[in-house]
Amino acid sequence: MTGYFIAILTFVSLAVLLGFALNMQWGQAGMLNFGLAGFYGIGAYTAAILSKTGVDGLTAAVAAIAMTAALSALVSLATLKLREDYLAITTLAFAELVRLVLTNETWLTGGTNGIRDIRRPLIGLVGGERYELFFLLLCLALVAVTYLLLDRITRSPFGRALRAIREDDVVAATLGKNVLALRVQAFAIGGAVIGLAGALHAYYFTYIDPTEFAGFVTVYAFMAVIVGGKGSNRGLLLGACTVMVLLEGTRFLKDFVPVLSAQQSASLRLALIGAGLVAILIFRPQGISSEYRLSIGRSPSPDLNP
Amino acid sequence: MQALLNGLVSGLLIALPAIALSLTYGILNFANFSIGAMITTGAYLAYMANASFGAPIAIAAPVAAVGLALLAIVIQHGVYRQVRNADHVTLLVASMGVAFVLENVLRFFYGADVRTLDVPVARPLVWNGLRLNHEQLTIAVTALSAMAFVAFILRATRLGRAMRAISDDPDLAEVRGIGRNRTVDWTWAGVLTALAGVLIALDGVVDPTIGMNYLVSVFAAAVIGGIGNPFGAVAGALIIGLVEETSALAISTTYRQGVSFVVLVLVLLLRPQGLFGVARIRR
Repeated sequence: MTGYFIAILTFVSLAVLLGFALNMQWGQAGMLNFGLAGFYGIGAYTAAILSKTGVDGLTAAVAAIAMTAALSALVSLATLKLREDYLAITTLAFAELVRLVLTNETWLTGGTNGIRDIRRPLIGLVGGERYELFFLLLCLALVAVTYLLLDRITRSPFGRALRAIREDDVVAATLGKNVLALRVQAFAIGGAVIGLAGALHAYYFTYIDPTEFAGFVTVYAFMAVIVGGKGSNRGLLLGACTVMVLLEGTRFLKDFVPVLSAQQSASLRLALIGAGLVAILIFRPQGISSEYRLSIGRSPSPDLNP
Repeated sequence: MQALLNGLVSGLLIALPAIALSLTYGILNFANFSIGAMITTGAYLAYMANASFGAPIAIAAPVAAVGLALLAIVIQHGVYRQVRNADHVTLLVASMGVAFVLENVLRFFYGADVRTLDVPVARPLVWNGLRLNHEQLTIAVTALSAMAFVAFILRATRLGRAMRAISDDPDLAEVRGIGRNRTVDWTWAGVLTALAGVLIALDGVVDPTIGMNYLVSVFAAAVIGGIGNPFGAVAGALIIGLVEETSALAISTTYRQGVSFVVLVLVLLLRPQGLFGVARIRR
């Protein structure tokens, strides 16, 4: 049972990291990333492939972060003069392209067989039986560090400029802000966090294949952010937990309804998640957490009332 | 030549959902990400009528069209109209949720198995060394007649004038008593999307991912045509179809969507209003 809780909490930390990234990209800068799963896959595969070739685990993780951040910047460049719709389309198409590459470039990614036996960082030091707990603590520490960093960024003049652009980029540009550069940076920062989460994913499961980076990851992340209240990193902690409880709770669905096959109950769970997302948007678009104002600035400022 | 012919046919196929996307975009001002799942749903509706109830495809296709049009109306009333403070970003996210629900409901009932429609197999027509199989012929004829019909509606009827008025200037249209959120547009979008689903299923197989496999191409087509412009979408779809098929001579066909992605990015960078769009991009 302890093992189960450790596993769940590890999943929650990964979900929280993805949510942080989305809060940066969407919550702060107003940039929709519908291809989150693709960037997540890039992080995971970069870390996994490098570890396989004998690179030290931590270096590989740093490389994964850099790679994901760089690709995020590149993708965001394509559409920056346009509305959010276009970025959403481009990122979605990018994720599809990533999936195709992961599935078909067998020489690099192992194709549908994926990559197995990914070496875990520091396992020699920590030892096998304590590793799960160690990994959870590592994840929690990284979540804390990321939270503090992002909080710092959000409260900085940079963060204020981002929110100004989100509300009205023409006004921000008129006031001398370099809209393009700020947006690319915001998207890259989010990308870096996704890369970190991807690397942790690869190390935790020690096995990855392309199906793990399909659209549902993106939907979970959006749901966590929307449940928590868009733009609120503290609300996100609650949001990610709620989503995970929903996911894990519905896992037991097949025990209560024995007629369903494993495949059917899995589909039903995913359908319920999607319906949940839509229901929240309809009934509680501001999220369950009312921390939106509190979490952004210590003093209330007018740009917090979208 | 064969690649050009195949490209034209697959362009016609992409054109139907691209028109549907443009119609709903022009009117509601949001990109409907559930269009991939809608295509799949249309294919399964036809499959249900065709394989489970034994209806010939000529009956199954209209059944799917009506069914999907109804579903589109239900989703419009049940979801998109209900989302409060409906800025287009919220609607985008909602449409992603809708896509997720549709796809997984289909998986729930039909699993991930690959199915085929029950149609007679016929020899392809050969003319001067060009091969055109019956499915392609059906696709071309159906798509062309559907497009002609939509063009007729948009250009020559009161309804079409109203639709164009909304997409040109919603506020002005509202003043004249033509509101947004009109059911009729979703009906058309549903019909066109369902037809696309049936045609895709006819050309290949039915499985829960077929719509997703076309999503990027459809969006690329709509963007090239200047999103919100149904006639541009047709041209965009033909371009995408041709580029995808001719690129298959050089690049593996598994990267068809990758090619669309590259075309999409190039168009967004070089001519963001689309090849046929007017420069009317806000922000």
